[in-house]
Amino acid sequence: MRSPIWRSLSFWSRAFAYAFLALWTLWTLLPFLWALVNSLKAPVDTFSPKFIPVLDFKPVLDNWNAVLRDPNVVKALRNSALVGALSASLALGLAVPAAYALARHSFPLPNQQILLWFLSQRIMPPAVVLVPFFVLMVNLRLIDTVLALVLVNTTFTLPLAVVILSDVFREQSRDIEEAAQLDGAGEVTIFLKIALPLARDSLIAAWLICFAFAWNEALFAATLASDRAVTLPFLILASRSTRGVDFNTAAVNTLIAILPPVVLSFFAQRYLARGLSFGAVKG
Amino acid sequence: MRVEERPGIGGRRRISWFPYLSLFLAVLWVVAFTLYPLLSALWYSLNTYVLGRGIVGFVGLGNYREVLASQEFWHSLGVSLLYALLAAPLETALGFGLAWLVHLRPPGYRAFQAIFLAPLFAMDVAVGYLGVTLFSQQGGLLDHILRRLGLEISWLSSTWGGLAGGLILDIWLWTSFCFLVSLAGLSTLNEEMYEAALLETKSSWTVAFRIALPVIWPVLSLAFLIRFLEALKTFGLVYALTSGGPGTSTLLLSPLVYLTTVRFFNFGHGSAMGFLFLVLASVFIALFFRQLRRVVEA
Repeated sequence: MRSPIWRSLSFWSRAFAYAFLALWTLWTLLPFLWALVNSLKAPVDTFSPKFIPVLDFKPVLDNWNAVLRDPNVVKALRNSALVGALSASLALGLAVPAAYALARHSFPLPNQQILLWFLSQRIMPPAVVLVPFFVLMVNLRLIDTVLALVLVNTTFTLPLAVVILSDVFREQSRDIEEAAQLDGAGEVTIFLKIALPLARDSLIAAWLICFAFAWNEALFAATLASDRAVTLPFLILASRSTRGVDFNTAAVNTLIAILPPVVLSFFAQRYLARGLSFGAVKG
Repeated sequence: MRVEERPGIGGRRRISWFPYLSLFLAVLWVVAFTLYPLLSALWYSLNTYVLGRGIVGFVGLGNYREVLASQEFWHSLGVSLLYALLAAPLETALGFGLAWLVHLRPPGYRAFQAIFLAPLFAMDVAVGYLGVTLFSQQGGLLDHILRRLGLEISWLSSTWGGLAGGLILDIWLWTSFCFLVSLAGLSTLNEEMYEAALLETKSSWTVAFRIALPVIWPVLSLAFLIRFLEALKTFGLVYALTSGGPGTSTLLLSPLVYLTTVRFFNFGHGSAMGFLFLVLASVFIALFFRQLRRVVEA
């Protein structure tokens, strides 16, 4: 069903709107396509203006093979996945009960204020706490460990998860929970056996959003790691500064870094608007 | 985010430990990993720190005085502000415009929506790095296209070129966010409102700017403030594109704090810069929370 406004538009207005939409589509897709094309080029073709695989040039998988066999890339990929998955799980482990509590109970302070307080931690410039985190991790002997990055990213994604999930729980029907309570079920049982399974899809979405944030985090990744705990953002920053940019390797690296969260986030689209706008928008 | 004040499930008021414990753990975590580091950053900023020996002397506001006297701090601050002041409005405007068109549900609008949202979770460092292969004057795609059109811009070897390149990538990446928020905001408008509006005016521009925009303005202004604050904090995108160069002319504030801390181990200066940064940002953070309260309590 077209909107009434669209139906009221003249032919030229529609054409203009379409041109704009098409242009933005091209603009959005072009960098992805460019990376894909470069990743398939043999070094001889790199600087030649050839754009269409098969027709213009012979696509090769050499770059993908070389990058995915590079032990540094494998290590960074594994670390990134670990940091993302562990910090998202830890953040959810803490955020889910807290969000449920905020949705079902009233506390001495207004719940609204508590939520805003959680958010204020998220919007602060993280550069402020760079030094203390560095010193803290040195003192705890956690510098250059995956655990250090897990702790940091849990801190940054926790508020996000609390806000997304307190909304989810508030909108979830309480009928079953109340029925269970009449049957004598305790609060913890109701939470674990009824509220959690009902919220399953939202929990997965919140997990994916936290994973994506942790996966993309670069400032602390570059500060707290040096060798063993190097993740993809740091690997990319480091390769930028040590050697010139080799287009083909760069293309594979960027695709490996960009695609996992982009693809995963398609499954969380319903929750994105709400989560990323700090709960201001009902998605 | 509206919170209703209600007694516990079933209306029985009894103090139970479960919700308190649940909330306490999350609050404890955030306090331990945010407030404690914040306070200790304040302490570092008032002291001289020598790597390996720790804090060696209290200098009061000495670090702040030195940072405020350094040209590179003011330069980075200026560049960051300029960057945020250009990126945020452009992204908000473009995001709203695209959302309005998709909101009209032209044929194929679902595909447009999915494509426009695709950059949302792209790693900014990787986007900056990819940008090198777009802007490079040795075979970069955009450079190649512009050359065909007779335009030669030294993207990566000049200050303005580097900043413009960073801005272009920032817009590529984050317009998706403003688009998302606008689209969600617009979805609260219903068809009847448009039917009624069309009886009054023939112009779709009037409907867009006089009806739709005012309705989603509170939410859109939040998107703007979020984008402004996030652009101010930008670390990876421009840094991966230009490495802060030529020289340190495109070094934004976050990378400056990073280099001061991690490369030069000047913890006093690093913390002082961080706090000055926080003071600057807090003006906009305050605006943001005022607006957020308005929106969620409306």
